[in-house]
Amino acid sequence: MATSARNNLNAKLVLLGDMGAGKSSLVLRFVKGQFLDFQESTIGAAFFSQTLAVSDATVKFEIWDTAGQERYHSLAPMYYRGAAAAIIVYDIASIDSFARAKTWVQELQKQGNPNLVMALAGNKADLEEKRKVTADEARLYAEENGLFFMETSAKTAANVNEIFYEIAKRLPRAQPSQNPAGMVLVDRPAVGSQASACCSRYHFFSYYHSDLNFLILFAK
Amino acid sequence: MSSDDAHSSSSEHDSTDQNPNPSTSIDQSLDAIEGQLTSISLNHRNSPLPEPPIPPPHHGIGDTLPSDAHSQVEEVGAVEKSGSDVEVENSVSRGEGVLWRNSSDVEGEVEGQGSPSSSGYAGGKGTSSSSGVSGSGIEEISGDEVDQGEGGIRSGSFGGSVDSEWVPGKRHVNEDDASVSWRKRKKHFFVLSHSGKPIYSRYGDEHRLAGFSATLQAIISFVENGGDRVKLVRAGKHQVVFLVKGPIYLVCISCTEEPHESLNEQLELLYGQMILILTKSINRCFEKNPKFDMTPLLGGTDAVFSSLIHSYSWNPATFLHAYSCLPLAYPTRQAAGAILQDVAESGVLFAILMCKHKVISLVGAQKASLHPDDMLLLANFVMSSESFRTSESFSPICLPRYNPMAFLYAYVYYLDADTYLMLLTANPDAFYRLKDWRIRIEMVLLKSNVLNEAQRSMLDGGMHVEDLPVDPSPRSGSLSSHLGQPRPPPDSADRCKALLGGPCGLWHFIYRSIYLDQYVSSEFSSPINTPKQQKRLYRAYQKLYTSMHDRELGPHKTQFRRDNNYVLLCWVTQDFELYAAFDPLADKALAIKTCNRVCQWVKDVENEVFLLGASPFSW
Repeated sequence: MATSARNNLNAKLVLLGDMGAGKSSLVLRFVKGQFLDFQESTIGAAFFSQTLAVSDATVKFEIWDTAGQERYHSLAPMYYRGAAAAIIVYDIASIDSFARAKTWVQELQKQGNPNLVMALAGNKADLEEKRKVTADEARLYAEENGLFFMETSAKTAANVNEIFYEIAKRLPRAQPSQNPAGMVLVDRPAVGSQASACCSRYHFFSYYHSDLNFLILFAK
Repeated sequence: MSSDDAHSSSSEHDSTDQNPNPSTSIDQSLDAIEGQLTSISLNHRNSPLPEPPIPPPHHGIGDTLPSDAHSQVEEVGAVEKSGSDVEVENSVSRGEGVLWRNSSDVEGEVEGQGSPSSSGYAGGKGTSSSSGVSGSGIEEISGDEVDQGEGGIRSGSFGGSVDSEWVPGKRHVNEDDASVSWRKRKKHFFVLSHSGKPIYSRYGDEHRLAGFSATLQAIISFVENGGDRVKLVRAGKHQVVFLVKGPIYLVCISCTEEPHESLNEQLELLYGQMILILTKSINRCFEKNPKFDMTPLLGGTDAVFSSLIHSYSWNPATFLHAYSCLPLAYPTRQAAGAILQDVAESGVLFAILMCKHKVISLVGAQKASLHPDDMLLLANFVMSSESFRTSESFSPICLPRYNPMAFLYAYVYYLDADTYLMLLTANPDAFYRLKDWRIRIEMVLLKSNVLNEAQRSMLDGGMHVEDLPVDPSPRSGSLSSHLGQPRPPPDSADRCKALLGGPCGLWHFIYRSIYLDQYVSSEFSSPINTPKQQKRLYRAYQKLYTSMHDRELGPHKTQFRRDNNYVLLCWVTQDFELYAAFDPLADKALAIKTCNRVCQWVKDVENEVFLLGASPFSW
């Protein structure tokens, strides 16, 4: 949730998307201005914070850069719960990553948070010659689903600051809340039932996940 | 556990004595594997180590090793001279081509038979065609352990720093079981599912090794169908070690002459690393779908496994089952421990502060104890994953010895390039609280100068054999032998005739405290100063450790062995184990005397080299 104190907002933002889509690269470009040709896989989720000044306010983003590997999918709710914004990232050179992005959008929509600002980022826009997903196709999908869409390139920095800036502008204002960012405890929905419809791979994970939750309770 | 152990030690013999026929039928029915492993014959030479006579009871566990007591020290050196310990050195000059010749012979055989094997193994025929490629691949593989042909590469570049520099990620992905270079690798690790699906291979691409995996699976299930379990196959220089963990099969194929017990433990650790990433609940996936493909779940973890496997050749923790601490002044470590203790009392399960592989301090919540193997696997996981260095992370991990079924959540933060903090909790919502704790911990560590001290210790190292006090007396000890004091000039008169290294030809030692589950080893110095020599010494220790802990013959108390490379002395008491390496010409009585001095020295500086008074490690 975005929390505000006068004109200062704290906003939890989560990046979701297939492995190798460029989530970490986007964040590192935005937060540190860096780009690595071979970005190592993220483990679990990495946390960053970065403050942006928009016309009427200062927005402090608390960014969760989640791992794209399949084994972490079931744990994503831990990171996107209570988020004010989400960037769903795909690689314009990979149809699969675009399909994966769509399933993330569905999953977030099922969370039923009407205030969640969702952005669709077609990353690696510098790889025009390898493009598999057209901008029109993605834009159409984004419009139908209430996301805003940009093609970005962490390598060239194109649209990277812009997408975060755009999110900052769209964050709902005047939404005071006593809870600091990230401490909003929402009753956790049954993850199993959410995911089961997606695909068989996913189906397995719902079991996996619920078992683990159960066992974690035991471990306490 | 103990019954399982008993079974494992005996079953190897059982399978040979009782039913030799199954072994031959393995030969017949699975001729394909012959192409990989020269000729399979269940070879039952017992352990290559000469069996030391059982020592007479060591009266009084007084902490001095009687220097004149020849009867209590076994001299097994002579036997060893042409024996197994000379592995590395001699294998360079000796016909390394043996395997090469053998395997090409067998390839011819497979070719000649011309019948596809029943296991569906497809690689056998391809090999003969590709075997002519030999020369081309050699440049790129020089960094790994490879059975070289007659080429001298091994003696050259192998000795350089190449070997010690672990390169993240998997190498040689283009290889498969048809590649000559792949076949020449000295040590393979495979993980596969019980349906024969490849899960992990140290070298080569898993998917291209599907046929090979199926062959391994066929061997395991063939023996299982006979109501038995295959643990070890010897094939010429190669050992094939199998480990079955429910639906997951682990196999090591090695010609490194390491004891098969060690290889088995390495497989156990490999399995533990997998559990650390996925938990044992992965078994349920196989219950639901026997053909389940596990590889996607391990996506991006090649670096974790390759770094673990690399540590098998340099990190003594992998066979000692103990951890080591960064040498630090007692008050410095206390300061770090105190703040971690505060955290542990506030709901964190484990708070661990480490510098690379060494512990600065660690604290567990009440009743929680951390197994050294879990620490090894956790540290390996964190250090081999570059992503932990970019920012603070919160990641699910499982500690296999603590609870193999459940995830914990690890808050990981690098305080500087080498030093990192890990806070483990069972609560998935604890991130922000742990983050706050980290800020407090970081402040305390900066204020008490712990991070600077740690950096200095990394540079200075801990115990140098050259600094071994000549006559440490328990009274004056702790002051005079304080670590980090200026060292005496190298030609100080009170030394005995040191050839190289420390006094009396002492080159290196490892001291393992049994009660603390910690070990301290001396820094490497001349002449053990190249990675190649360090690895050779490491392997010698490993062999020594295995022979001392032999289930059937042991446990032993002392062992003295001399070969071309070293004099090795091992001494095991209820309190500690000491492994020491000397110049091969070292005098035995002096060596024994030196070991006593080393033990005294370690006791004198135990405040600095061990983490004392941590929550008791009981399991």
